[in-house]
Amino acid sequence: MIAGEIDISNTAAVAASLRDEFDGGTDPHLDLSRVSFVDVSGIRALVGLALQMAPNQRLLVHGLAAELETVLKVTGWADLPGLELCSCAGEA
Amino acid sequence: MTDPSPSAVNRFRHEALFYSGSAEFVNGTVPFVREGVASGEPVLVVESPEKIKTLRAALERDADQVFFADMSEVGANPARIIPAWCDFVNRHWVPGKSLRGIGEPIWSSRGADELVECQRHESLLNVAFGRGRPWSLLCPYDTATLRPEVIDEARRSHEFIVEGGSARRSENFRGIDASAAAFSAPLASAPPPLDEVTFEKGDLRRVRELVRKRAVAAGLDESRAYTLAVATNEVATNSILHGGGSGTLRIWQDVDRVICEVRDRGVFDLPLVDREAPGPDPSSPRGLWLANQLCDLVQIRTFHEATVVRLHMRLDPRANLSLVTDVESTEATMILPP
Repeated sequence: MIAGEIDISNTAAVAASLRDEFDGGTDPHLDLSRVSFVDVSGIRALVGLALQMAPNQRLLVHGLAAELETVLKVTGWADLPGLELCSCAGEA
Repeated sequence: MTDPSPSAVNRFRHEALFYSGSAEFVNGTVPFVREGVASGEPVLVVESPEKIKTLRAALERDADQVFFADMSEVGANPARIIPAWCDFVNRHWVPGKSLRGIGEPIWSSRGADELVECQRHESLLNVAFGRGRPWSLLCPYDTATLRPEVIDEARRSHEFIVEGGSARRSENFRGIDASAAAFSAPLASAPPPLDEVTFEKGDLRRVRELVRKRAVAAGLDESRAYTLAVATNEVATNSILHGGGSGTLRIWQDVDRVICEVRDRGVFDLPLVDREAPGPDPSSPRGLWLANQLCDLVQIRTFHEATVVRLHMRLDPRANLSLVTDVESTEATMILPP
């Protein structure tokens, strides 16, 4: 679970800590329901993580705000093999 | 003077059709569409719902071979029109065949800011397609309702002109390179802003909060205010990363919209970067593309030692549709089949 806002001031740090956390074999869940803002650099970092995991793992993202889901779609990143948006309740 | 017909083109042909009244519109467009259909070329017409209705009736059975899309939707933000044409050309192009399009982005009730962005769009079409695949784009201009200076600008942004039933090269065409040059058309003078703040790295959260607060106070709903903050954040991020490390944000309210302006010392020299759909490659730029997808209008200017980006968000998103729509929405075929 992470909370707060992600922009260029902390993207690198957030990405590094997530990378450390996602070491295991199963598909990791990332609950963003308490993250009120993710900028393009943050989404880019998540996409980068997902691309590193594919094809063995998928990054399962929960709780992304509807507006940010739109951002993900219009920036062309919605259909990546390693990234899945889940509408179920957060499980992270 | 050479006067190749649209079917003979081996490169992009960008042509303005000057018409007055419905009969001239039909006479200027229907043969163009019919020729394309007869040669098996994919044809896409992006027009107002009334003109789509008129064309369908005039084309009769040929209309079934034509894609139609509503310009009041596709071109609500004029910077979304080039991506739509790119999509059409990329999906339907086959080697050895041309394609045809009709697009009328400018009508008399376009707002002043929208009109200038439409004119920029017309020039950028030359940059986007001028050195690419061969296809013909015919752009009708209604001389009965548009001001003479709008018609004059169309002579500069189009390589070919159809006037009085005959086609010729435009002597005033500015060419591809000049079409790509930095855009410095004056911006409308702004009222005293509700807020004016400078920002640098570390201030973006404050920028977002300010935009949201002001946008909601001005009457935008929470979701659109948040969306405007998302877009402004990306433009301000560009200032920090590429525009000298800092910038100035001004926010003001116009009659029907909220406008956020970001000013920095950067140089904007990628004329199509805000209208080229980014691929999945994580490193490709996305900020200005995103702004165009989220906002009702985006104005980008390069002035002496300053880049200025204005983001417009309408209070009433439905008011986008400044064309009269008395046609059932089912009239317009979806732009592209799956």
